[in-house]
Amino acid sequence: MLRISDLSRSFREGERVHRVLDHVSAQIGAGEVVAIVGRSGSGKSTLLNLVSGIDRADGGTIEFDGRVVSALGEPERTLFRRKHVGFVYQLFNLLPTLDVEENVRLVLELNGVRGAAARARSRTALAEVGLGERLHSRVDVLSGGEQQRVAIARALVHEPALLLADEPTGNLDQGSAREIVPLLRALAQRRSAALLIATHDPALARAADRVLELIDGRLQARALEEGS
Amino acid sequence: MRLSWAAVLRHLVRHPAQLLLALVGLALGVATIAAVDMATASAARAFELSIDAVNGAATHEIVAGPAGIDERLYVALARAGLPIDFAPLVEGYAAIGDRSMQLVGIDPFASPAFDGSAFAAGAAAVQPGELARWFTQEGTLMMAPGTAEQLHLEPGDSFALEVSGRTRTAQLLARLRAERPGDETLLLTDIAQAQEWLHLIGHLSRIALRVPAGRDGELALARLKERLPAGVEVRAVGSRTRENIDLAATFTVNLQAMSLLALLVGFFLIYSAVSFAVVQRRATIGVLRALGATRRALLATLLGEAALIGAVGAVLGVLLGAVIGHALVRLVAGTINDLYFVVAVSRVTLPASSILKALAAGIGVALIAAAIPALEAAGSSPQLGLKRSVLEARAVDASRWLLLASALLGGAALAIVAGSTRSLFAGFVALFLLLLAVAALAPAALRASARAAAHLSARASPIAHLALNDIAASLSRTGVAVAALSLAVCAMIGVALMVDSFRESLHDWLGRTLRADFYVTAPGPGFARPERRIEPAVAAALVTMPGIIAHSESRRVRVESAAFGPVSLDALTLAPASYAGFQLTAGNAASVWSAYERGALVISEPLAWRLGLAVGKELTLITARGPHTFEVAGIYREYGNDAGTALLNRAAYARWWQDDAVTALGLYLAPAAQAGAVLAQLHAAAAGRQALLIRSNAEVRALSMSIFERTFTITRVLYWLTAGVAALSLVSALVAWELERARELALLRSLGLTPRGVALLIEAQTGFIGVVALLTALPAGVLTALMLIDVVNRRAFGWQIDLHVDVQAFGTAAAVALAAALVAGLYPSWRSARAPLAQAIREE
Repeated sequence: MLRISDLSRSFREGERVHRVLDHVSAQIGAGEVVAIVGRSGSGKSTLLNLVSGIDRADGGTIEFDGRVVSALGEPERTLFRRKHVGFVYQLFNLLPTLDVEENVRLVLELNGVRGAAARARSRTALAEVGLGERLHSRVDVLSGGEQQRVAIARALVHEPALLLADEPTGNLDQGSAREIVPLLRALAQRRSAALLIATHDPALARAADRVLELIDGRLQARALEEGS
Repeated sequence: MRLSWAAVLRHLVRHPAQLLLALVGLALGVATIAAVDMATASAARAFELSIDAVNGAATHEIVAGPAGIDERLYVALARAGLPIDFAPLVEGYAAIGDRSMQLVGIDPFASPAFDGSAFAAGAAAVQPGELARWFTQEGTLMMAPGTAEQLHLEPGDSFALEVSGRTRTAQLLARLRAERPGDETLLLTDIAQAQEWLHLIGHLSRIALRVPAGRDGELALARLKERLPAGVEVRAVGSRTRENIDLAATFTVNLQAMSLLALLVGFFLIYSAVSFAVVQRRATIGVLRALGATRRALLATLLGEAALIGAVGAVLGVLLGAVIGHALVRLVAGTINDLYFVVAVSRVTLPASSILKALAAGIGVALIAAAIPALEAAGSSPQLGLKRSVLEARAVDASRWLLLASALLGGAALAIVAGSTRSLFAGFVALFLLLLAVAALAPAALRASARAAAHLSARASPIAHLALNDIAASLSRTGVAVAALSLAVCAMIGVALMVDSFRESLHDWLGRTLRADFYVTAPGPGFARPERRIEPAVAAALVTMPGIIAHSESRRVRVESAAFGPVSLDALTLAPASYAGFQLTAGNAASVWSAYERGALVISEPLAWRLGLAVGKELTLITARGPHTFEVAGIYREYGNDAGTALLNRAAYARWWQDDAVTALGLYLAPAAQAGAVLAQLHAAAAGRQALLIRSNAEVRALSMSIFERTFTITRVLYWLTAGVAALSLVSALVAWELERARELALLRSLGLTPRGVALLIEAQTGFIGVVALLTALPAGVLTALMLIDVVNRRAFGWQIDLHVDVQAFGTAAAVALAAALVAGLYPSWRSARAPLAQAIREE
């Protein structure tokens, strides 16, 4: 479903060129949960940005359901992301000017679903994450755990085939983090969506079907039992 | 509303102060444009209405020179059997109290054919039973019902009417049946009565004609022209109105340019507010992009927001403009009355085209201001949104490009000036390019000065080093502030120096020109109105008064030229001492004055410029004896009339125009005479005969200077509006900057800097920006003044003004720049001193 081949990405820091990803290759199937681990600055977020089409690679290809995403132009990549990708961020990235339900419905609206149908779907998604009673709350009055649940509902409401999560528990207390991980996994699997999680949280990595580690710009498989 | 729009637009609703600043800047700029349009259009419309109200269905008119048309011509034409309706008219100005009115003498029997005209309305208002009183009772007249009501007059009431210095007793015979636009300034009386009051016995001001349309009409007109004596012309109604309004066109264009300047400065305010709003929403924009919002959709949202702000600001601006316009219209009408034509503005109107222009300007400026930050935000990659560091790096790049643009704009301004010699439009374009060049230069100048100052202060004070480096490192905010301020300060210095230079030149000119000890004129509105005349017996008594050793006589009229429309003519009998008062700028004094005595013209610089005349060229004027070509013998400096004046020997004038009236006298005192005593005798000699204005030399100078100051009051009002917009722009940009770095300031406080220290730091930074703006604007302001004096004024009016540099002009500009900069720092200082430290440090 998702095939990454020979992917490279460098950044210029003054005179120096820093190669973050160096001929990275991987393959992830539908409904599979894969954790990408690595130290801070190893390129985990860069990899997710490339997969989602937010950023462009210097070389290599990204193929999703037979379509070469890395060859798409900017507007097509945006449309691809809008339709097929859900994104959960460490800092939630909810829009403070919209309420809880509006934040979720926004993605449907961008995908052309409006009116009662959009409202019903966003309410269902929020009910799935346990926030059916907070539909019209302001997002900045919610706790961190609640905000991340809204972000998960937003990431899944349009039924994407690929769910990307960048340090989803990185800004949560331990209790909230423990609740979020199974929720994310369960909701992704219920939709047969592939879930790619960038994390340095061992507990989160253990919840994945597979763990890949980024070391010196290269991706290596890591045994699950080594994740502790 | 769509959620992606709501996500972006709700930001402004949650930050009303920011929205308010953008709206105020835009509204002020648009208001200035609308107000100037309103004032000038109302004055022109009032003039047109007053003419239309009189003319109605008339299609043509027969006109002659200042002495009018012999009334026997009317009788002859009316009996000629032509298929044309004729109505004789005698016109002038009169005053009831301080209210200036148009006095029109009509023939009620000739008038009914002219539907819609004042004379038809007047004829209709005279009841059959009142006809006898109309013809036999002295001083009867009619006016519009509204005017009579305002003056508390009922039919049969008597009241005093001032006509050319004489107080007449008038009586309201009847009110007009209906009131049409323009009627409010009309006084209708019998033609014989008007002839007596206006000293036009046996003469008419003009004859209104109604010529049938088509071939028959053309033939009738041709036959009519054959019957007209020399010096009498037939012309289409309205052409004279247009010519009069055209005389004030340059004055109007100057005002409009000043109003555009206010909008240009307002542009920076909008840019500052909109770009700040975009930067504040960089996270929102980034998230929307990550969720799949396209660049185009985001751009549409941000520009849609700008258009909405522009529309609301423009509507507010038009409303505010209507308020300012009401105040401005009196100033504009005053200037027009002083310099161009008589107008009484009783209705203030804002034409639909002006409203559309103001709305388009408001929305256009908002869109252009928003385009740069919106393109930047929508164009950046989603994970960046608009990171501050990225934005600043771009601002530094932009400042380098702007430096190049500044040089190109300055070069283009010079090239335009060099490549065009007469075009006023090109002059204004060059002026605006110069101002933009200053604005483009300012960010780079600020960055360079801040970096240099930071380098110098590095050892002395780490805090000063930090403060100065911050200015250079935050160019996206500080650059906008310094650009807006330097542009406004430059314009302020330029305008102030121009006005000062003009004032000094006028002062020198008055000192040189006004040679007589006393000046006597017949009172009344309007420059060069023929009814303003000193009665011959009174004039004779005054000039032979003991203590008066010499005098000059002047007849000021407006005559028609063959090719250029109306020309102001001053027919003079000069006293020996008067010749030296004219500063000749072309022609040798001896030959000029001998040619003048032989009947040649000496013309003023503005007239020479306007008509493209030089010494040795000729000007054909329509005299009472037909067209006559006069030689131009010399050109003299003049600031009294921007349309220009032609001087002619009074004997030659009397010969050519058959008019020996005198409008003004200049009286020279004997060396031993007591000025006070002679003045009292002069007043006594005129008392009871004619209420003349007798003024001393010093009074005339003071009056002329006060007219000058009144003329430039409008400029000053616009000048302060521009300064106000600039100050707001600066406050907006600096407040935005300070609020953005609240976290950094909180960090400084957490390290031990006191709230007072933070306040001082902020004030020092904003003060530094003010100083750099001022230093950038100082030389550019002098250049702007030169451009205004040597290009704009020269091309607009033909005046040659000597640059006079007054330190006070710089002082005011410096005070505005520094005060605006320091005031801009007050709110951020107060806010940062009060902000809870822990929260400020946590917030990103």
